[in-house]
Amino acid sequence: MQPYGATHTEVEVKTIFLVDDSATVLISTSSILTKAGYQVEKASSAEEAMTKFKAGLKPDLLITDLNMPGMNGIELIKQVRQMPNYRFMPILLLTTESQQSKRADAKAAGASGWLVKPATADELLNTIKLVIK
Amino acid sequence: MDELRQAYISESQELLTSLDENLLRLEQNPGDADALNAVFRAAHTIKGGAGVVECDYIVSFTHVVENALDGAREGRIKVDGDLIQLLLASGDHITQLLEFAVDPELRPDAQTLARGEALLDGLRKYSPEAKRDESGMANADAHIESSGGGLVGHDCWHISIRFGENVLREGMDPLSFLRYLSGFGEIAHLSTLLDGMPSADLMDPEGCYFGFEIDFRAETSKEKIERVFDFVRDSCLINILPPFSRVSEYVSLIMSLPEDAMRLGEILVQAGAITTAELDKSLQSQQIDEAQAKDSDEEEPHKVSQLGEILVEQHVVQKELVEAAVVKQAQVSEKKSQESKLIRVQADKLDQLINLVGELVIAGASAAMLAQKAKDAAMFEANSVVSRLVEEIRDGALQLRMVQIGETFNRFNRVVRDASRDMGKDIELVITGAETELDKTVVEKIGDPLMHLVRNAVDHGIESKAVRAEHGKPEKGTLRLNAFHESGSIVIEVIDDGGGLNRARILAKAVEKGLVAEGAEMSDQDVYKLIFEPGFSTAAQVTNLSGRGVGMDVVRRNIEALRGSVHIDSLPGQGTNISIRLPLTLAIIDGFLTGVGEAAYVVPLDLVEECIELNSEAADRNYLNLRGEVLPFIRLRQQFGHSGQVRRRQSVVVVRYAGKRAGLVVDELMGEFQTVIKPLGPVFAHLKGIAGSTILGSGEVALILDVPALIARTTTTGAEHAPERLGLVA
Repeated sequence: MQPYGATHTEVEVKTIFLVDDSATVLISTSSILTKAGYQVEKASSAEEAMTKFKAGLKPDLLITDLNMPGMNGIELIKQVRQMPNYRFMPILLLTTESQQSKRADAKAAGASGWLVKPATADELLNTIKLVIK
Repeated sequence: MDELRQAYISESQELLTSLDENLLRLEQNPGDADALNAVFRAAHTIKGGAGVVECDYIVSFTHVVENALDGAREGRIKVDGDLIQLLLASGDHITQLLEFAVDPELRPDAQTLARGEALLDGLRKYSPEAKRDESGMANADAHIESSGGGLVGHDCWHISIRFGENVLREGMDPLSFLRYLSGFGEIAHLSTLLDGMPSADLMDPEGCYFGFEIDFRAETSKEKIERVFDFVRDSCLINILPPFSRVSEYVSLIMSLPEDAMRLGEILVQAGAITTAELDKSLQSQQIDEAQAKDSDEEEPHKVSQLGEILVEQHVVQKELVEAAVVKQAQVSEKKSQESKLIRVQADKLDQLINLVGELVIAGASAAMLAQKAKDAAMFEANSVVSRLVEEIRDGALQLRMVQIGETFNRFNRVVRDASRDMGKDIELVITGAETELDKTVVEKIGDPLMHLVRNAVDHGIESKAVRAEHGKPEKGTLRLNAFHESGSIVIEVIDDGGGLNRARILAKAVEKGLVAEGAEMSDQDVYKLIFEPGFSTAAQVTNLSGRGVGMDVVRRNIEALRGSVHIDSLPGQGTNISIRLPLTLAIIDGFLTGVGEAAYVVPLDLVEECIELNSEAADRNYLNLRGEVLPFIRLRQQFGHSGQVRRRQSVVVVRYAGKRAGLVVDELMGEFQTVIKPLGPVFAHLKGIAGSTILGSGEVALILDVPALIARTTTTGAEHAPERLGLVA
């Protein structure tokens, strides 16, 4: 496999990049996604995610948590959107019910949509189907 | 059955009852305009509802009935006995038609239709315009179907969306929506609109300037479609218009909504015709349009239409739906004003309340016991206040379930009238004690047994005119329904002035059936009771009303299931009185707590007459001398097999039920006790002398005595030993 699964010209395998500081979320979400046939990349902080982006990772979809130590999800979305390669990449923000007010900020920062935690496998996959190209 | 149909059917049944009653009033007094109006209204409402639930067969039938009634109201048609007969029969026919309304697929069978047609022919003679009006109505229907196609002519959802300029930059692909929609429906037609595209020099190549008009075919809800566009709702213009076929569905949904005062928007949202987001948007634009509209109340009619107009203008909802919602709103407020004095409560809510009150009574008893133990005067005082309040709450809660028996009685007006006409008899029904109240569950269950008894009385009890004349009685027979309260029970009497029960014939029949031995000595009472035996009928000839030998045993079983009893009195040549005795309530009673050995027994307090000490004279007998009268008694210790030493001092609780008196010997008298009746499980069904159980303040279980059964026992076992000349005190 090539580093970061950068290309998928031959087989249509979509890559989803998960960023969350919680190992539980990373493991459970990635297992759902892998079973559904997606390739999953993980990062446990926004900084780690930025490093991977700078190294050339080009996923089909970025799903990031909102609250993370250090750089938060909205800040991450802002920075990613400023990088020319990622201007049209779909981005989903993981929020909780109580963080509804942050959705407008996320939109302004360039998020495509949001996912309310905890999401069932169906909700997760349905939302992904809606935004992924 | 869906809720709407169910509501329609039960409403119509109520209306038919009122139709019957008022027709009978009209028969008594043909000039009674109120009664005539009530009959007209009932028919009118039934017809209207039938249209909503799409029962065209009821609409067309009721339409002619309504026409005839309209004619009568305007004085064009004379109200006579024949017309009333015809209208009564029409009411019955509608009742039959309603049975088909249960299922939208059902249609009346040919026989029913033919019967209906025969009635209609009769009615049309009264209103010659009926035919013409009917065709007019059919046209009106067609008109409704073809109108209101408006924006959507075929059976698709119509979604129009204008994407915001930033959609692409937010990482969304407009095509992904189309892909996603195809996942749960079919895109029947799609046009892409480019009218938002600016001139080339102003265009941002990364912007999104187009929109879609989508015809979408899917079995889904508006909400689900709207959710697809959740992420872009704020930056795009989206309108979702339901398919036209949905309109009628929404209209019925709107009509079946609970009758709470609601705002127009709320009604539409509840029916699913619009979504909350659409409503919010419309309300916002309403506020912008009219600064003063901000704090206004939408329930005012002119404001309502404004919100409705906005919704229609924004292509969120069809005009028909707004109109339906406005109609609904008006209906609700009208109904509200009518119903201000009566609240309809679901029966199970009441049941739950009664259950809770039962628990409260038990918990209160336990607190009272602790207070007594603690010997703290203040606490005792406080507790007695609580107990009194609990008792009042109990009575109040039980009172909520009490209904007057009059309504049940009134049903029999029609039964007696029809049955006597069929039999060629002239019988007057006299109702007394209609205001007597009893528990609703009891009322519901007593209807059928009463019906049997009334029909029996009409059929067999009251003689034909000729026979009556021969015996020097008035030709017109009298049937009386009476109800009154007596010592914690309600007594319902069915009294006729007919020929009375024929003792000899009953006995002969019983011997023939092998129920009694030939030549057996039996009291009149015991003989009369034989008619409640299964398969017993002395009628020489079976009529369509009664005499088939089913019924009387069912009557007794039903009444016994309600912890009640039946008693027959009859005088040859003068009539029969069948009285049914029922407990007032089935949930909580005042009890009298007694102890036998370690166990506690509850005697229903209403049945207790007095308590006396058992003196040693009676030690080896089972009857005693109560102020010169013999009182048979039963020792509960023996009856229920308690072991252990018999106490030196024992007491007798004197109980009386249905005119019979007996004594129950117990060890200890513990006083009054609020008793929450808990039924015994089926395992204990065979127990004789136990009616149920209850829970004491200490948490222990006490058994409730089945006094009637115990009395029956003492009178059989006691009578054997009692000196014959004393007999049984009644």
